Amino acid sequence: MLLIPCPNCGERDEGEFNYGGRARVFPPIEKTASVEDWHRSIHFASHEQGQVHEYWYHHGGCECWIEVKRNLHNHEIAAVNATRSDTDRSGT
Amino acid sequence: MQASRLESGGYIDRNSSIEFFFDGRSLTGYRGDTLASALLANNVSMVARSIKYHRPRGILSAGLEEPNALVACVDEAGNLIPNLKATEVWLQPGLKAHSQNNWPCLKIDVGALLQLFSRFLSAGFYYKTFMWPPSGWPRVYEKLIRQVAGQGRVTLGADQKYYDRRQTRCDTLVIGAGSQGIVEALAASGRNESVLLVDQDSRVGGSSQWDLQPGDAGNQQQWLKQKLIQLEQASNIRCMANTLAFGQYDHGLVLAVEQHTSGVHSIYWRIRAKRIVLATGSIEQPLIFPGNDRPGIMLAAATRQYIYRYAVKPGRRAFLAIIDPADRAATATALVHAGVEIVGELGEGEVISATKGRYRLKMVCVFSRHGQQKIYQCDLLCVSAGWSRNSDLSAQIGKDRFEVAGNSQNQAHGGGAWSFVDYQNDVQCSDIESAVHEGFSHVEHTKRYTTVGMGTDQGKTSWYGTTQALADLTGRQFGSISRTTMRPPYSPVSFGALAGANTDQHMVPVRRSPFHSVLEKYRCVFQTSGEWLYSRYFPVADESMIDAVCREVFAVRNAVGCVDMSTLGKVDVKGADAIRFLSRVYCNDIENIQAGRLRYAVMLREDGMVFDDGTVSCLAENHFLITMTTANSAAVWRWLNRLLQVHWPELDVQLTLVTDHYASLAIAGPNARSLLADMSPEFGCNRDDFPFASVRTGWLDEKVSCRVFSLSYSGELSFEINVPARHAHWLYQRVIELGADHGVTPYGLEALDVLRIEKGHLAVGTEIDGRTTAQDLGLGNMVATHKDYIGASLLQRPVLKDTNRLQLVGLVPVDDTRDIPTGAQLVDRKWCAGDVMNSIGRMTAVINSPTLGCSIGLALLKHGHHRFQDTLWAASPIENRSTEVRVVDRCFYDPGGSRLRD
Repeated sequence: MLLIPCPNCGERDEGEFNYGGRARVFPPIEKTASVEDWHRSIHFASHEQGQVHEYWYHHGGCECWIEVKRNLHNHEIAAVNATRSDTDRSGT
Repeated sequence: MQASRLESGGYIDRNSSIEFFFDGRSLTGYRGDTLASALLANNVSMVARSIKYHRPRGILSAGLEEPNALVACVDEAGNLIPNLKATEVWLQPGLKAHSQNNWPCLKIDVGALLQLFSRFLSAGFYYKTFMWPPSGWPRVYEKLIRQVAGQGRVTLGADQKYYDRRQTRCDTLVIGAGSQGIVEALAASGRNESVLLVDQDSRVGGSSQWDLQPGDAGNQQQWLKQKLIQLEQASNIRCMANTLAFGQYDHGLVLAVEQHTSGVHSIYWRIRAKRIVLATGSIEQPLIFPGNDRPGIMLAAATRQYIYRYAVKPGRRAFLAIIDPADRAATATALVHAGVEIVGELGEGEVISATKGRYRLKMVCVFSRHGQQKIYQCDLLCVSAGWSRNSDLSAQIGKDRFEVAGNSQNQAHGGGAWSFVDYQNDVQCSDIESAVHEGFSHVEHTKRYTTVGMGTDQGKTSWYGTTQALADLTGRQFGSISRTTMRPPYSPVSFGALAGANTDQHMVPVRRSPFHSVLEKYRCVFQTSGEWLYSRYFPVADESMIDAVCREVFAVRNAVGCVDMSTLGKVDVKGADAIRFLSRVYCNDIENIQAGRLRYAVMLREDGMVFDDGTVSCLAENHFLITMTTANSAAVWRWLNRLLQVHWPELDVQLTLVTDHYASLAIAGPNARSLLADMSPEFGCNRDDFPFASVRTGWLDEKVSCRVFSLSYSGELSFEINVPARHAHWLYQRVIELGADHGVTPYGLEALDVLRIEKGHLAVGTEIDGRTTAQDLGLGNMVATHKDYIGASLLQRPVLKDTNRLQLVGLVPVDDTRDIPTGAQLVDRKWCAGDVMNSIGRMTAVINSPTLGCSIGLALLKHGHHRFQDTLWAASPIENRSTEVRVVDRCFYDPGGSRLRD
C-alpha cells in the first residue's frame, strides 16, 4: 500500500485516495472537436512503463485531485502537484 | 511428574506448575513452556500423523518452522482451532490440545494403511487418476477426496475472541530481536531515531540467550544482559515481543500480529517505517535420508533450545548427524549437559541408510564410505544440513530471491523410500524425481506438481532439500535455482486477527437517514442499500411484505404516501459559471432554466453512455441544487470535482456536498397538494403558484425553513420537502399528524420500486447499467443537439446510433394471469427446458403491478423501439419456465403525465 504525499495534507495512506487513471489530455467538448481526439484520450490511452503521471483523488482528506508522478517499477513517487491553483477558489 | 525435565536451569517458572491435556490425558508443565516443550518434558514424542501417509510424527523444531507437530486446541469459547504448531502454543492452565489426522486414535490410525499404497500415491496422483470421466468430478471424486484430504477440522461456531487493529509509525523498524537486531536497534536509537523492535518470540534476545558457544565462560550472557538494560533505558526504542511481522509492502509498510495470552487475543499492526532492518536470522535445515521423519529426529539447534531454554532432556541416547563442526560441538556440549549419552556421529562420507522405530526412533543404520553398515541404538537423532538465511520478508517485495542458503554446505541428497523433503505435505525425494522426469523441473512447477512448500509452514524446512534435489537431478548449480515467489504471510495469521474488530455491524459503516429513529417508531422494516439502511416497507399488524407493499402502492395512487428520500445525493452549485458548468455536464437543455424551476437531467460519461440521472433546480441566479442517485452520489461528486479542479480550472464554480444537511421527505399522491397546504408553508400551494417541476423556499409553520420540490418518481403529484436534518423528526410527525385526514401512508423502497416500474422510470444498476445510451433508454429526444456537453463527441459513433441496439421497452404477459419470470432472457420462440437459443434481450425489472393487476416488466430488447405489439417469450432457465409477453411502451401508467401536473 502506497504512501502518497498529498500537497495539502502530507503523507497519507493509499486507502484515503481514489485512483483516477493516467493523466491525459482532456479534449475540448465543443462540437467542432474531433471524435478522434476523444478516442485517443479514453480508448487509446498510452500504457508506457516506468515514470507515469496519474490522477488521485483524496477523498479521505482535502477532497482535492492531485497529480502524482510515480515510477511503476518501484512505486517511487517523484513529484506531486495540486491540480488547481487556490487563487480561483474564493467564495468557498 | 515430568519424566524428562532436568533438575535445574531453563527459562521456565518452576513455581507455577500448569496442568494441561493432550488427547484427554492430564499432564503438567511450567509457565514459560510451549506445548511442544511440555510434551517433550512428559516424554511424549509422537504428537501427530502426517497428512498423506499418516506416518507417526514428532517434534522437529522449536519455532514457527515446525512442519510436523500440528495440533488442534480448544479456545475459550470451546471452538476447536486446528493446525496450530505445538512449538508456538504457549502453555496455559487447562489447555486442551488434540492430535489431528488420525482415527480412531493417534497410535492406532486406520489411515496409516495408506502407506501400503504409497507407490500409487505419487506426485500428481489426483491429476492422473481422477481425469476421466469428467462427470465423475462433482459426483464422486470431489466428495471422495474431500473425505480423505485436509488436515484438521474446523468447528463452525463464531469466533468469540477479541481482536484489535492499530497503526504506528517509526523511523527504524527492526524485525528480529536477536543479538543482531538488538545491536541495530541500539545503533538507530543512538542516531536519535524512533525505533520499533519486534520479534515473534515471547522473549527479547533470540537464541543468544540460551545457545551457548562451547568454552564461552558466561561472556555472551553478560553482554546480552548489558544490551537488554540499554534497550530498556533507551526512551526512543519500543520492544514488541510476541509480534510476528508477516508481510512487507510498498513504501515501508509492514504488517504484524501481536499475540496476547489474556484479554485481547491479538492485535493487527500496520507499521509504517522509514527504514526497515531485517535481523530475521536463519532457519536450520534437516538432512534427507530414508526414514528421516520419525519422532525422535530433531534439528540440532532445537535440541539445544529444548535443553537450555526449557530444561528438557529430549532423549536418552543420541546420534549426531550434523554437518557443521561448530554446531556439532555445541550440540554435543548441550547433550552432555543434559546427561544424554552420545552413541555416535555421522562421519565424513557416511550416509544414513535407514531408521527404525514404530512410534519413536529406536535405531539408525549408517553406511560408511566403504559400504560397511553400522547400527546405532538411539532414541534421539540430531540433524543439521546447515542454515538457510531467513529472507522471506525482503523476498516478498522482490529482493533477494536467489539467496537460498546462507552458510549451508553442499550435502548430496539422499534417496530411497520415505526420504522426505517436505514433512508437512509428505513430499518425498522420489516425488521431486518424478516431477523432474515429467518435465516439471522449474522450481515453480515442481512446487505446484508435488505440493512441496505449500503447507502451513510454507516450506521453511523444505526449500533447501528441494533446491538441492533439483540441482542434482537437473545438473544445475545449487545457487542458480531461485526460490518460488514468496508472498505474505510469512507464517500463518488467523482470519480473526486480520479482520480485527471489523466484524458483523462493524464491517462496513452504516449510514442512517435523519428519519431513522422516527421510522423505527412506525414499525419500519429496514434493508441495507449500499452503506445506507433504508426503509423497506411498513407492515401493519402481521401483514406480509407483499400485502404491505400493495397497500402502500394503493395509498399513493389513491390518497397520499410519504417516503424518505434523504439518501439521494445533493450538491449545492454556486458561481458565475455555474450554469455553464452544469450545461456541459448534463446532456439535456438546462441553460434557460428560470429561478424557481427544476428540470430532470441526464449526465453522460465521456464515451456517451448514461452515467447518472437527477434533477437540476435553479434556486436563484448563479445558485443551483443538483441531485444524483443514491448509488452514484460518491462517483458523481468525484467526477464534478475532477472536472473543475483538473480539466476546467478557469470556471468560477463552487461545489458543496449537502446530502447529509437535509432531511428529505416526499409526499406523493392525489392528496399531496392539500396535505402540503395544511402544513401552512409561506408560499402558495395551488397549481398556478406551485406548478410541476418547481422549487419553493420558505418556512413551514413559520418556524422551520424548508425547500420544496415538485417532482415525481412515482408518477403521482408529489412534493419533496427538504428541511435541515435536525428537524427530521418534527417533519415526519407533522406529515403523519396532518396527513391523517388525507389518508397518509408511510411507504418504503419496495413500494417506490413498484411505482417507478409502473411509471417506466429508470434506476441505476438495472436500466442505467453503463452500457446504455440515452437513446437506448428512450430519452433520445432529451439529448440537446445545439450545445456542447460531455459525451457529445463519442455519441456520434455510428455503432451507438444502430437501431439494432438493446432498447428499453415495457413487457406485459399475453395471458395476464401469468407471471413474467424475473431475470429472464428474451427469445423469439417458446423456450423449453434444455433448448439452446440466442437471446435477443433481457428483463431489467419485473413486478406484479397492484395498479394494473398483472405482471409487468421493463426489458432491454434488440431493436425494441420498433417492435411494439410484437410477442416474444421471456425465458428463465433458472426458474425453468418461459412466459409469452407482448412489447409495449415502458410507461405503463398515466403516459400523458396528467396526474403529476394536477
